[in-house]
Amino acid sequence: MPKVKIPRKSTSVDMTAMCDVSFLLLTFFILTSKFKPTEPVAIDLPNSRSEITVTDAIKISVDKNGKAYINYPSAAFRLHALAKMGEIYKDKYPYLVNLTDKQKAVFGQVETFGCDARALPDLLTKKPDEVSKITTGIPMDSADNQLGDWIMAGRYADVDLNHPSARTAIRIAIKGDKTTDVKAVQQVIKTLTERDIHTFNLITTLAGASKREAAPEN
Amino acid sequence: MAEIDTSGGGGGKHGGKVRAKKLSTKVDLTPMVDLAFLLITFFMLTTSLNKPKAMDLNMPKKMDDKKVDVKESQVLNVLLGKDDVVWYYETQEGKMTDMKQTSFGATGVREVILKKQRRVEKAFGHDKSVGDKTIVLIKMAEGAKYKNMVDILDEMDITQTKIYAIQDIVPIEQETIDHDGKVVAGKE
Repeated sequence: MPKVKIPRKSTSVDMTAMCDVSFLLLTFFILTSKFKPTEPVAIDLPNSRSEITVTDAIKISVDKNGKAYINYPSAAFRLHALAKMGEIYKDKYPYLVNLTDKQKAVFGQVETFGCDARALPDLLTKKPDEVSKITTGIPMDSADNQLGDWIMAGRYADVDLNHPSARTAIRIAIKGDKTTDVKAVQQVIKTLTERDIHTFNLITTLAGASKREAAPEN
Repeated sequence: MAEIDTSGGGGGKHGGKVRAKKLSTKVDLTPMVDLAFLLITFFMLTTSLNKPKAMDLNMPKKMDDKKVDVKESQVLNVLLGKDDVVWYYETQEGKMTDMKQTSFGATGVREVILKKQRRVEKAFGHDKSVGDKTIVLIKMAEGAKYKNMVDILDEMDITQTKIYAIQDIVPIEQETIDHDGKVVAGKE
């Protein structure tokens, strides 16, 4: 009886296609990922079922201890806002008027900051990393509401930079920690409403929840 | 036998021309794939996938001269206290009734709001959707956390309550909460 010989096939597979796919995925992930901005404090966001995404906004962070921080969208925006602070509120913040170019450059690199404006000129002589570690918070009580001034400076900067003629105001978003006392957030809201900003966003993370569950009978 | 091989590598037969060995053009890509997947894994693990979302919040403009006519039975007062406790009450003939205590979630404050909506629906009907005549007043009592505020705003969305407002708490309300929801006599 003749033996049927099965031809031996090579076990090595052509890896080219696999390589193509994996690098495609890699490229995709690298291009779509965004580096987490450096923040003075970690903020644990509350959950909600809202699905609106906010991209360009002045973000006001409120940490666990109720301290406020501000985050402008870009470096150019930060520089412009700083210039506006010196321009509009030059009587209130005379020390912000004559900053050196080096100090301004440092401010441009600090993504989120939270400190008293009085301490700012001194801090800006240090490295950006050190400035973004300051967690004293921006004062926002009614006697010395610097947060409100920073917000207004941001809005003026936005007009100059993005909408010289038409007016679609930049969004303001509040980023509060889950465990923050609601009073601190309400103070931020009060600061906004006092400046005629009545529409803003609360930044949250998405949580799964069903829409309008079966209503219980009474 | 005693010849001396003068030719080079392989091509002794073809007039002594030196020929390079033909190498296969195929490269083993397995390590490259390994590396690529390693990098993919790294990027996937290091990037945070949950993109932050945002909820809209509209605060009323200050208008002192404009007053809206509201029946008190349309209104539900919801107060957020400490330790995730929710208090609620209604007014009767301008007087506060005892506060009741509930919690967040489907069986807690959501049920309270939906029941209220149904009662308002029976009494007043509706304009466009069920319960759009119900008014919820949200107040933050001592010790409420920001998370509670977001949760209650979320409930407004879930129960489709169209009219709601965040208000400052009145001292009497805080006092009532401190007395476990019992209205302090003579102070209602």
